Amino acid sequence: MSILIAGQVLNGLATGMLYAMVGVGLTLVLGVLNIPNFAHGTLYAFGAYFTFTVANWTDSFYLGVLIGPLLVVLIGFVIESQGVRRLYGAHHDYQLLFLFAIALILQETVILIWGPVGFSLLPPKNLAGGVDLGFIVYPKYRLALMLFTATLVVALYLLMTRTIVGAILRAGIENREMVKVLGININKVFLFTFGLGAYLAGLAGALSTPIWGLTPSMGLDILPICFVIVVIAGLGSILGAIGAGIIIGLAQSLTTVWWPEASNVVIYFMMGLVIIFRPQGLFGSR
Amino acid sequence: MRDRNIYLIILAFIVIGPFLQPRVTVTEMLIFGIVAVASNIMIGYTGMLSFGQAMFFGIGAYVAGLLLKAGMPLIIAMPAGILFVLVLSIAVGAFCVPRTGLYFICITFAFNQMFYFIAYSWTDLTGGEDGLAGIPRPSLLDDPVSFYVFVSVVFLACIVAMKRIVDSPLGLIFQTIRENPERAAAVGYNVKLYKWISFTIASTFTGLAGTVYAMLYYIVPIDQIHWLKSGDFIFMTLLGGTGSFFGPIIGAIGYIWMYDTFALFWGRWPLLMGVVFVVVVLYLRGGIVELIGKVNDRYQRARGAP
Repeated sequence: MSILIAGQVLNGLATGMLYAMVGVGLTLVLGVLNIPNFAHGTLYAFGAYFTFTVANWTDSFYLGVLIGPLLVVLIGFVIESQGVRRLYGAHHDYQLLFLFAIALILQETVILIWGPVGFSLLPPKNLAGGVDLGFIVYPKYRLALMLFTATLVVALYLLMTRTIVGAILRAGIENREMVKVLGININKVFLFTFGLGAYLAGLAGALSTPIWGLTPSMGLDILPICFVIVVIAGLGSILGAIGAGIIIGLAQSLTTVWWPEASNVVIYFMMGLVIIFRPQGLFGSR
Repeated sequence: MRDRNIYLIILAFIVIGPFLQPRVTVTEMLIFGIVAVASNIMIGYTGMLSFGQAMFFGIGAYVAGLLLKAGMPLIIAMPAGILFVLVLSIAVGAFCVPRTGLYFICITFAFNQMFYFIAYSWTDLTGGEDGLAGIPRPSLLDDPVSFYVFVSVVFLACIVAMKRIVDSPLGLIFQTIRENPERAAAVGYNVKLYKWISFTIASTFTGLAGTVYAMLYYIVPIDQIHWLKSGDFIFMTLLGGTGSFFGPIIGAIGYIWMYDTFALFWGRWPLLMGVVFVVVVLYLRGGIVELIGKVNDRYQRARGAP
């Protein structure tokens, strides 16, 4: 039993880190642009499918992960510059509806291009198989994923706290108007943020393929999880999104041990508890 | 336009509609017309955008459907479904309503998906992915014409009731809150309480529409409670126009008509819907009502020009 639980804790960490990556992407866009990106889930799906296609063409998983998410960034740039930007003056409802419409279009485009049937993608050869951790033999790929994601999270943290770009983004989350007043081209900031958010979604999608495979509905399924992360973390808290992602990943995979049917519902239950006892979110200040 | 004239147009639509479109399509238009007008009480009148209305529609449908399947008469099943949604929306509202703006959208959205997963996982009760099938209609309504008459009566009753609500002092308070929540609070209104009431009214009418929907195709498909459906409800409302009480009815009719037309010739019809959404959001923000107004203006000007 304890081995089973240890294995589920590791699985939960791997899942949680993927969740954290998508969640941070959504949080960034939500915080800086002040819009809920309903197309975030489909960008995640596109990351996975692009990676799948590139990996099959080039016969290299690594090239796929390198190029796939960058193609998603291009989509993100188009969405921001052609649509979202025109709507900053309009009411919230319309930005939301626009992104919902984009989500519908992208969702159907996935099915148009790749068909309604799912695919699977094998991890690269040097990450196939398992590692003996002493108490459990664990898939190599998931360990590598955790290491990579942890590095990425640290890099993101450094970007946000130690660089000018990070300072501008944080300032944008705090007070958009003031950033404009200081003479910073807010359009560029928005474009960059949307691109970064799209990249994180695409990368998470790409890295998830060897674990969960690809299905057309993967984008629709991940989106509510992102929103739960945002609510648990507190609106606009990047560190919080990382923490919340890992927490709900763990909660989901541990619930699978005792009550598999409830594993999908447990994260909403946690969200309810957070709303009751800490309405500003676990890590939020406002 | 005077309200009486609009009611006459609606009556005319109810009578003529089934001759222009298949009767089930028109029935569906009426059911979702209730949903769109109810959603507009929140979106247009109170200025709250909930992204979770499908949970109330779906749960109303599930409760009424289950009771009908258990052999209960409609006179019990329908009020029970409505009452269930009323209580549920008060409870869910307690969580959501204190939050505003983006937070409100996120939480209602997440709640929607929670109930989706409950319906999805609780296969014994809800039929899970296959939907809740085999819902009987009461024998009196089992013929297509009488069911249509029944839905029309329910539709008209709902519209009249909601119109009375928004025209009452309560409706004015909703609009005050939309225009300026701080000032409404300063004048002495309990803003949270009234938002909660608005949320409950809109959700309950949405659930009521759900109880009727359960009988339409004798089944509650699982996608009626999915978050995509919540987006559709918002779209119907905005397509019609949130600026007027009756506008969303046109939105619902337009939505169902497009759905039927697109779905007929292409399996990937949601893509076309998405394109229409984008056009509406970028170029036609006031919805169809605004479009009619613009066309009318141009016509008047052309006629009035010397």
